[in-house]
Amino acid sequence: MSDLDELYQQVIIDHSRRPRNFRVLAGDNLRTSEGYNPLCGDRVTIYLTLDGDRVTDVSFQGSGCAISTASASMLTEQLKGKTTAEINTVFKNFHQLITGTSDETTASADLGKLEIFSGVCAFPTRVKCATLAWHTLIAALRNAVEPVSTE
Amino acid sequence: MIDWAAAAAHEDRLLGYATDQISAFPEARLIGTASEKTGVLSFVISGVHPHDIGTILDRNGIAIRAGHHCTQPLMDRFGVPATARASFSLYNNKADVDALVSGVKRVLEIFK
Repeated sequence: MSDLDELYQQVIIDHSRRPRNFRVLAGDNLRTSEGYNPLCGDRVTIYLTLDGDRVTDVSFQGSGCAISTASASMLTEQLKGKTTAEINTVFKNFHQLITGTSDETTASADLGKLEIFSGVCAFPTRVKCATLAWHTLIAALRNAVEPVSTE
Repeated sequence: MIDWAAAAAHEDRLLGYATDQISAFPEARLIGTASEKTGVLSFVISGVHPHDIGTILDRNGIAIRAGHHCTQPLMDRFGVPATARASFSLYNNKADVDALVSGVKRVLEIFK
């Protein structure tokens, strides 16, 4: 498989075309955060609801390339029901996966379907596409007020 | 000495050829179609973000520019988030345009 085929796997194309949880959330204990990549123009808004420390629902809105849209879409599918600590661990492992810096000693969180993004590590310029929604989500969990910028 | 008139005519021929070739894709739309312009061809492909076009072309040996080209206010005004943009100069030739066209076919294959 060429590195392009590794990057643009059918699952990623599918999520970019039909993003899941692509909606605005409302309700109690709602957190939102906005992320922006000024170099490419990708924008994402993450919405999540919390029960204590646990994410009970998560959704997003925005526009961007296939990688950033698919990453946001799959993130919302994978993280519902997880605690802040669990999400931080998944993100750490996800980041290592897409930058090709994974090592055996890392506490392994099951990345599940997110492993489909392993092809990103051959394209360093696309790492920020894959992480924009993640940084935005982490900011929402921290209740940050300032929008997230990749630059 | 560079013959600037010949260089301009060469660019213009390449631009005309590329415009015809890219326009032939039903999925493609040209952005910026003034009758007199320099050798740049901006386009979008339905359902494919220009950065994905850029990555795929890059892997096929074709360098283009993708994004908002430092014209964010204008792009906002027309509601175009980003475009792909090929440019032609005196060192390009018809084979480069053909490579671009093959690359666009590859984009459409990946995003079929």
